[in-house]
Amino acid sequence: MDTASIRLTFARLAPRTDSGSPSEDDIIALYDRLRVPLLRYLACCRVPVTDAEEIVQEVFLLLFQRRDKLDREPAGWVFKAAHNYVLKHRERNRREAESADASPRALELLVDKRAWADAAFEERERRNTLTAVVRALPEQDQHCLHLRAEGLRYREIAEVLGMSLGWVANSLARSIARIGRADAR
Amino acid sequence: MRERTENEAMHLSDAELLMSADGELSRERSARARAHLDSCWTCRARMQTLEVTVTDFVRARNAELEGSIPPGAGPRALLRARMRELAAPENAGARGLMGRLTAAAACLCVVAGALLVFELAVNAEGPRPNARVTPGETRPITLAEVCSNPEAEVVVRHISAETKQQVLNNYGIKPGRRGDFEVDFLITPDLGGAETTRNLWPQPYSARWNAGVKDKLEQRLHDLVCSGRIDLPTAQREIASDWIGAYRKYVTGDRH
Repeated sequence: MDTASIRLTFARLAPRTDSGSPSEDDIIALYDRLRVPLLRYLACCRVPVTDAEEIVQEVFLLLFQRRDKLDREPAGWVFKAAHNYVLKHRERNRREAESADASPRALELLVDKRAWADAAFEERERRNTLTAVVRALPEQDQHCLHLRAEGLRYREIAEVLGMSLGWVANSLARSIARIGRADAR
Repeated sequence: MRERTENEAMHLSDAELLMSADGELSRERSARARAHLDSCWTCRARMQTLEVTVTDFVRARNAELEGSIPPGAGPRALLRARMRELAAPENAGARGLMGRLTAAAACLCVVAGALLVFELAVNAEGPRPNARVTPGETRPITLAEVCSNPEAEVVVRHISAETKQQVLNNYGIKPGRRGDFEVDFLITPDLGGAETTRNLWPQPYSARWNAGVKDKLEQRLHDLVCSGRIDLPTAQREIASDWIGAYRKYVTGDRH
């Protein structure tokens, strides 16, 4: 799968109810469209999959609650809300980690196990190297990269992360350059 | 040497190359970038390297995430149920926005698994089948066939591993938790229940309303049908729509 095929089209919610706010079915339709990209983004932020599913639920419940007041593209709003949950989740885990080991249910561990079982060695090594390089990037750069990989435009990423458009462009260029150097070795 | 330095000064930066590839440059800057790429092999080679890196990153990322996203049917049903739960008091004007949100959040914290949250949040008495996924389905059967067996479900029906897997997936149950559930018929085959996923659901062993309790109801309904006290369609409907309610009604005699 290449970048183009995972890119999303962020169409506005439609149709709407007579009152102008999205209906339950509209919200479900948006959920169907964004659940997987959100879960993938949360997985890349190392949120365990069960927690990630819960975060997505909470985000959409919040969207449902605020559906009358939403006056802009909901997809960007949804990613921003999910990102805020990631930050809260990270903070809570940081506190918990002070008294216990990191969660053994983290998605990355599950994924690594599967990868060891079925991938060709060289390809797996290469992927592991790239993954390691990405994880060594500053946290904001990682978020930026993964949001872009899920199809968000620069303006949307800037809004989610609370950064400028220029910062997004430079962050992505910086990250790709670093990944490229590791990839070329 | 001077000329080369001037050319380099005209090269596109990494950020400009990426923005160009991503379609993020303004029309004017995009036209300039394209014109430069047309004339500059160095920048074209850099652009190609950049695209290869993006492709490699996306492939590595997708390989890492492959198979990690659980099926969405269960979580979708959960979200819909929660929205309805929130909408109900909203329509009645009973509680404020934040109050409802807080109540929902408190509910969410109780159970970890999405499916269990759904089941328990919606049905405080215990887990029940999701009517959207498992509405109950029947096959043609005569009363004589039903009553040819003195006991309900004497023959244990074989449910294929593939079907079981599909049912567990429909309810979003993770592989590690599958031993906690029995894939059970909603309308028992003895009463004409079909062997389809629309009539199968994962019943937890450990819940209060478990498979053993449901077996008692099935036997009771079998007896009632075969003694002519209720007809077969009624028994099928009762067990499909609310088997716990049916248990209270027909087994314990508690109509509340």
